[in-house]
Amino acid sequence: MLDDELLSTHLQELRRGTVVLACLLVLKQPNYGYALLDLLDRSGFAVDANTLYPLLRRLEKQGLLTSDWNTEESRPRKFYRTSDLGAALADALNRDWDELDTALRTLKGGS
Amino acid sequence: MTTTRTLTDRYVEATLSRLPGRQRPDIEKELRASIADAVDDRIDAGTDPAEAELAVLAELGDPVRLAAGYAQRPLQLIGPALYLDYTRLLTALLTTVVPAVAVAVGLVGGLQGTPALRVVGDTLNAALTTGVHIAVWTTLLFAIIERAAPHRTPARPWTPSALPEPPSRRLRYAELITESVALVLFTAFILLSPLVSTRTDADGAPIGVFSPWLWETGVVYAFIALLVASLGFSYAKYYLRWSVPLAVAGSLVDIACPVTSIWLAANGKVLNPAFVQAAGWPADVPRWIGTGIVVISILTVVHTVTEGIRRARHR
Repeated sequence: MLDDELLSTHLQELRRGTVVLACLLVLKQPNYGYALLDLLDRSGFAVDANTLYPLLRRLEKQGLLTSDWNTEESRPRKFYRTSDLGAALADALNRDWDELDTALRTLKGGS
Repeated sequence: MTTTRTLTDRYVEATLSRLPGRQRPDIEKELRASIADAVDDRIDAGTDPAEAELAVLAELGDPVRLAAGYAQRPLQLIGPALYLDYTRLLTALLTTVVPAVAVAVGLVGGLQGTPALRVVGDTLNAALTTGVHIAVWTTLLFAIIERAAPHRTPARPWTPSALPEPPSRRLRYAELITESVALVLFTAFILLSPLVSTRTDADGAPIGVFSPWLWETGVVYAFIALLVASLGFSYAKYYLRWSVPLAVAGSLVDIACPVTSIWLAANGKVLNPAFVQAAGWPADVPRWIGTGIVVISILTVVHTVTEGIRRARHR
């Protein structure tokens, strides 16, 4: 019987990098922190708020996201959007994901 | 204006206080908006406002952890990139410097005639203090490196040449033979010196070049015993695997000889005054010989410690 802790550790390891890819893809449409958290959660990318908020700033610092303050509504919000560099990284990560998928399928088919 | 601050205020403050000043205003605005959004969302779902705030902050977790995420600070004292270097250096220093200090303190205390119990106490005290200092400062140094250069190149590349050396190296065997021969010659020279000498007294009896005090007190035999033990450890190091007890014991003995020599030279217990007089040496000569012995002994101590560190790092 696969115990829950062991399973969740390995699932976490497997999914670690996918949050970055998901952010870069979702943020082709500008969005702000909490809405993004909610959207990712509903799309099946469960991520903690205290991981996502610092991550957004790190990606911005690396030039993968750009940001703008939207002060038109009652509550000012910081909107992030994927930059050209970010889109290029998303493409590269996506390709790698596809290659991994193919490789895994080959492994499963070959055994 | 009242000074009642909400939980959110306190949470944001706790987070910001651990961030660099220039990041604060922007992070504060965003963090407050994110918390407010999350709280509103829960209130819309029918949660009581106070409970919603509690739940949102609890979900965000420890503000120190959040701040570390924003500032990209490591949440570990010494990370995996540095950990091996850290343990190697620490082991090397602890197994060489601590025994060196213990022997120095113990021998000097013993030779000066301090009561045995106090010598033991002083020795243990010195060893413990030195060990604690080494551990604290080494750890501090590595913790600072971890924080000062978080994005440097990964750990020093490892090459197979860093593997422990096999004990069958011909060069090291030659060293061992040289050491054995030197020990036999040196011991013979010391033990024969009272019987064979270039100078004789009025009765025709030889005047030994070394101080008779060494024989009267038995120090000469203790010294030779140390030399033999030191040679024994050289053989042990050659044939046995590196281990902490062996390294510590080896360092202890290796350092005991030069420290004893330094003490003897500094107190003028090496040369026989009668021999100096009979040979007609100027007064400066014994002083120069003493200085020479001290210098050679200090170099030996330095060599033993550096060699011990090298062996511990390459094990």
